[in-house]
Amino acid sequence: MVTPSGRPDAVTALLGQIWDDALDPGYAAAAGQRSSSRSDRSWNGRSVRVGTAAGLVLIGALFAVALVQTRAAAPAVAKGRADLESRIGEQTAAYDSTTAQVTALQAQVARIKSSQLSSTSEGEALNRALAALGLQVGQVAVSGPGVAVTVDDAATPPPGTDPSVDRVLDRDLQSVVNGLWLAGAEAVAVNDQRLTALSAIRSAGDAILVDYRPLTRPYVVTAIGDPGTVETAFTSGPAGQALRVLQQTYGIRFSIRTVDRVGLPAATAVELRYARAKGVAP
Amino acid sequence: MIAVLGLLVGLVAGLVLHPTVPLWMQPYLPIAVVAALDAVFGAARATLDGVFDDRVFVISFLANGLVAALIVFLGDQLGVGAQLSTGVVVVLSVRIFANVAAIRRQLFGA
Repeated sequence: MVTPSGRPDAVTALLGQIWDDALDPGYAAAAGQRSSSRSDRSWNGRSVRVGTAAGLVLIGALFAVALVQTRAAAPAVAKGRADLESRIGEQTAAYDSTTAQVTALQAQVARIKSSQLSSTSEGEALNRALAALGLQVGQVAVSGPGVAVTVDDAATPPPGTDPSVDRVLDRDLQSVVNGLWLAGAEAVAVNDQRLTALSAIRSAGDAILVDYRPLTRPYVVTAIGDPGTVETAFTSGPAGQALRVLQQTYGIRFSIRTVDRVGLPAATAVELRYARAKGVAP
Repeated sequence: MIAVLGLLVGLVAGLVLHPTVPLWMQPYLPIAVVAALDAVFGAARATLDGVFDDRVFVISFLANGLVAALIVFLGDQLGVGAQLSTGVVVVLSVRIFANVAAIRRQLFGA
């Protein structure tokens, strides 16, 4: 099979050559040699048998080693994953308990502060101002009537779509939260995580994080505000429209219901490290 | 007969002795396995064709394995190890397929 170079079928010819010469040409050559000079063999009798047997033992051992190696590697990978999972679980639990501690201490601080301040009339006024401000920035647990928006991944992904996109993304939750603020919500929490002016909703891998805390589905966004107004404004606003588009395109499930009374927890302390009131020395 | 026995002995020995492959040898293991498969199927075909030769079998297996390992080693040094590994596997796989097809024709006449 001789092919002039530059022909378009040169690659096919190369593969064809490999195919045609699949049997090592050495076999044919050796057979030809044997038939021409029957008695003259460079390796004879026993040593040849031993060579073949040794080669085959080697090949068998190679297969066994490869088999064992592959089998041994699989549990190691699974074990690494399990280790990581348990570490994530531990760290999340530690974070949760620390957060609970912070919340308890904050409540204690607030109690002590208000008891100290209430001793004087000047302090009493300050106390009221603090309470009002705390309400605004999410430092105080609140309750009132409102709206709960539940968003969840597609139950059965629509055919022909990539299953990885039939999920609620961080920007979908952002849009829901922004829609609720726009509709007149006064306080918003996602899965019982109170949002403040410094809160961030973002994703890391497949998980959605609110203030670095991973959420689990379904995602419930609770907002306090006039239930009728908030619900209507949200549904007819851009966020509601976006949700309906997500539902039609990706099968994302969502429901909106008004609640007579809902409690939102206080956010963990918002600490400003760099920002100072203008004109006040740091 | 001796072939099947040899393979079985090797398999059992490998499973029982449980040798650990040194880290530097691990990239060559897949290549060695494919080269070994090629040698086994080539030998089977040669036996059926009636041209099997022990010397050719042993030498071609060792030489092919060495050349394949050398190509991959060079490739690793030059930064194209993965691509050359793929090349070696493709060429040897084509040979394996061709040999199995020939064996099939011999055995079943189809």
